[in-house]
Amino acid sequence: MKDPYLKKLTDIPMEDYLVGGHVACQGCSASLGLRLALKVLGKDTVVINGSGCMTLLPVYPTTPLRVPWIHLAIENTGAAGTALYYALRRKNVNANILCYAGDGATYDIGLQSLSGAAEKNIDMIYICYNNQSFGNTGHQRASSTPRASYTPTTPVGKAEAAKDMPAIMAAHRIPYIATACPSYPIDFLNKVTRAAEVKGMAYIDLLVPCPVGWGFDPSEGIDIGRLAVKTGIWKLYEIVDGRVNLTYIPKKRRKVSEYLRAQGRFSHLSERDIEEVQAEVDREWDELEARGYAYDIVV
Amino acid sequence: MIAGNGAAAWGARLARVEIIPNFPITPQTAIIEEIASWIASGEMDADFLPMESEHSVQSALAAASSAGTRVFSATSSQGLLLMTEMMFVTSGLRLPVIMVNVSRGLSAPITLWSDHNDVLVQRDSGWLQIFCSNNQEVLDSVVMGYKIAENNDVLLPMMINLDGFTLSATREPVDIPGQDEIDGFLPEYNPKHTILDPKEPMSMGGAVFDEYMYFRSQQRMAMQNSKGVIKDVCAEWEKITGRNYGLVESYCSDDSARVLVICGSESAILKYTVDKLRAKGEKVGMLRLRAMRPFPCEEIIDALSRVEEIGVIDQDISPGSGGIIATEVKACLGRGVTSFIAGLGGRRIGAEKYEKIFGRLGRDVEEWIF
Repeated sequence: MKDPYLKKLTDIPMEDYLVGGHVACQGCSASLGLRLALKVLGKDTVVINGSGCMTLLPVYPTTPLRVPWIHLAIENTGAAGTALYYALRRKNVNANILCYAGDGATYDIGLQSLSGAAEKNIDMIYICYNNQSFGNTGHQRASSTPRASYTPTTPVGKAEAAKDMPAIMAAHRIPYIATACPSYPIDFLNKVTRAAEVKGMAYIDLLVPCPVGWGFDPSEGIDIGRLAVKTGIWKLYEIVDGRVNLTYIPKKRRKVSEYLRAQGRFSHLSERDIEEVQAEVDREWDELEARGYAYDIVV
Repeated sequence: MIAGNGAAAWGARLARVEIIPNFPITPQTAIIEEIASWIASGEMDADFLPMESEHSVQSALAAASSAGTRVFSATSSQGLLLMTEMMFVTSGLRLPVIMVNVSRGLSAPITLWSDHNDVLVQRDSGWLQIFCSNNQEVLDSVVMGYKIAENNDVLLPMMINLDGFTLSATREPVDIPGQDEIDGFLPEYNPKHTILDPKEPMSMGGAVFDEYMYFRSQQRMAMQNSKGVIKDVCAEWEKITGRNYGLVESYCSDDSARVLVICGSESAILKYTVDKLRAKGEKVGMLRLRAMRPFPCEEIIDALSRVEEIGVIDQDISPGSGGIIATEVKACLGRGVTSFIAGLGGRRIGAEKYEKIFGRLGRDVEEWIF
């Protein structure tokens, strides 16, 4: 049997089920994330979208999607996925169910519906494409927005830290949870493969740097994602059976200032503010190192 | 002898519904409990999906219907309001969902008892709306509902209303047709317009620009088409069961000088009053609106054009405008009616008040019957 896991970039399947010509912004990592995920999930996949940026992929009478796609509203991706799971089973349709919803639709308005699906452990893959804001309405604050970030609704910077969504999902005891970033496609896609393999619900929190909302040039999205990971601000890990395992450990962490200074949304931060962020990240990584980069989150 | 809630559950069972997303709310809950017990005992082959809110119920109805399954649910009052956003999505996607609403007044102040404001909030949601007057009609309407909603000239969801407690918890004799009979009447649902199958990929619920108005006009056209389809399906149902339904029910209104227009189970008491007054020689009658959407304007004109004095009983109120049904009847007839606001939050009306109401027609005013 062919090894389902990818080792190098050239292992990524050539087939595309999200094709060009759509209206997502230049440098959009959310559409890249979907394109990549569909490459490994393949044609037998049904996508459920929660209202957001990606909802504008199919614009009547065209669609860039070569797999079935349904969008209903913003706050019900989990509920729609639940119903679809049962409906497809009744219709004898054997397909991956991929929920693809933004962070606002996941962390905030859709949390109840997602929790319902997780409690029932519905056999589906839920990818939260996380641009850390209500992106499609103009990048307003969400509970996924990091502390200190400027948004049009946090003009002096957000006071609160982002919600720990993977931990919330872990508390539902679903079999597979991961974080990822399209800047690390092999890591991301092997997580998608694992998510498809597990029986039950899988949740992937996918950091998608947004040039418009975060304030950087569309050509820099992949680099910004790499910096998020290499500075240690965005950690790549899996949670299986309540145990967190880091899937990437930066050998030498880059300074958080490199990541923060590259984005308009953090341009108001003083040197001292940045030092505080650095100290917090260092503290977290010291703790991770002490735990051997693995620990139990659900006991 | 079954209660209205049991009749609704029987309708869903006979229609061989496949997926039942649900959320408990008084006074609807007995419907989903009955279905849960049938699925557990193997009498019914369906998936019972307990959801986390009514919003999720309506979302699940839409998603499961999009994949081509026949779906059913029931709700009431606050639950129906929580579904509001998704009601428009379901009808906009042209999904033939059937949902029973067991009507109950809206909070605040919170009440358990019936009136029609919950249903009428959804008047413009693009759903067909049927008001039932007894438990037999509940069962019959659910089964007929699928045949109407799934018709290719309609493809709209339908809400079937029964009054909380008055019907939902009251046991009445109900004829339960045999499954064979229903299987002959209602074929399997096999949609052509909505398929979420990788063999035939399509994108549903995408964005539109200028075409938006085109889609809305199609929806309006489907609603117009539904009038003929409802009549045809009712005629077919009558052949099988002998029971006759239509868009309206006219009771002694042909030769009446005074007629009251009404919806739902209160019509039973009104009929009793009509009989009583007619025995005394009074030329009174009743017109029950069975369909609220599509609004049966032609039928109302036919029934009421020669009537001298018309009154409308509204178990609802649109503050700042008036009785919702009275407003629509006036617009349809192009003449004044006496509008009575009565029975809000299940407040008892009773035959003696209907008698008084018949004596207070002929004035184009709004009057509250406490």
